[in-house]
Amino acid sequence: MARSEQTFFEDEALDRAFGVVMALATEVQVLRDRLGALEARLAAAGLVEAGELAAAPGDEERAAGEADRRAFAAALLEPLLGRQSSKSVG
Amino acid sequence: MDERSFVAAQDFLLEAKKYWTTEIYGALKADYRHKAAKAAPGEPAEVRAMLGETVLYRYYAWLERHLQRFKYSGRYGLAPYHRERREALLAGLADPGGRLALDPDLDVPKYYSAVDIHQHPGGVSGEDIAGFVYERGSRSTTPMLGARHRDLHQRFTDILAAEGAPSRILDMGCGFGKSTRPFYDSFPEARIEAIDLSAPCLALAASIAAEDQARNVRYRQMDALATDYDDAGFDLVTSTMLIHEMPPEEIERSFAEAHRLLAPGGRMAHLDFLPASEPFARFIHYGHGRRNNEPFMRPLAEMDLEGVLAGLGFRDIEIQPFAEADGVDTVDSAAWRFPWAVVSARKA
Repeated sequence: MARSEQTFFEDEALDRAFGVVMALATEVQVLRDRLGALEARLAAAGLVEAGELAAAPGDEERAAGEADRRAFAAALLEPLLGRQSSKSVG
Repeated sequence: MDERSFVAAQDFLLEAKKYWTTEIYGALKADYRHKAAKAAPGEPAEVRAMLGETVLYRYYAWLERHLQRFKYSGRYGLAPYHRERREALLAGLADPGGRLALDPDLDVPKYYSAVDIHQHPGGVSGEDIAGFVYERGSRSTTPMLGARHRDLHQRFTDILAAEGAPSRILDMGCGFGKSTRPFYDSFPEARIEAIDLSAPCLALAASIAAEDQARNVRYRQMDALATDYDDAGFDLVTSTMLIHEMPPEEIERSFAEAHRLLAPGGRMAHLDFLPASEPFARFIHYGHGRRNNEPFMRPLAEMDLEGVLAGLGFRDIEIQPFAEADGVDTVDSAAWRFPWAVVSARKA
């Protein structure tokens, strides 16, 4: 049987949840790094202008991304509502 | 996992550790100073009572524990990274020639196998790639040193060289040879024996020495408490970051063995961690030992080293703070740092 990890908070749930946050944060940095490398290579190949992706997107581009943003925000925050997605009792 | 993702993740964890080292530690120290201004604690337990329940300290402690855990064991941890590359790593070891002597029958002591030090899964001898894992991990052991991490060992060697070049050196608990390398580089005329319990670490050390074409070093698998060397055969017996990994009784036995091995007038010198008597420094150090799976840091800090060494017949006993880099404040550092110290004594 695995040994219990050390705990630092009054509620052990916080110890574990913060571990999830750190794992995700690490993954975000891995993605940022990969994206930066991709952009640099695209710029080097002349497929995008250097700095082009850092400029503010136009209205048309923002509108095109709206549905995806909305769906992501909903999926991220929906669990806060505490509602059942399928029937259960008790 | 691919190389780029591993590097990006480890770099991120190191940046998080640096933030912890400077900002989180700095805030904790400021909080302590503020609270201690009213009633200064005299003991680490009183510091614990003052800070232990605060949210800041809980996050400080959590991050110290878990940034190290992620470094070794997470998705992008050192252990899984090296395991995926096991065959290539082992195949890449250079032929050690006569530089390596392992002892497959060696029984490792219980205190050594009971705890995975540094949160290294399986410990530093738990699998054949353990030396590679340890070597990679050690590059960021002292987070603020960065690329200067090698300098630390050279600085220690330089201190020992100040009184003349030793000719017969024993490096106890040499690991993968990071501490040994400056000795064979700095003292090409000296004969250097380096011993450790970990076969995987010694194999890597001997490979590095072979690549360096070092002719004056031999790595042997042996317990520093009971070596097979003759009496009075060395004029320098040393260790780096060894004694805090041993219980006090074993530390004392290693000192006694060093005394036996030294020629009259020979020097014993250990580079290790000894916090100041100031209670905040001790509270921080004891917590570090718990969280980094190094249970003997505290007993070492509480040992009467001068008394033990004098009782064994040593003279010229000195315990001096050690600056791991230029400009380090060894008394009151603004950032977290190891409480480096050199324990030195001479055989009468």
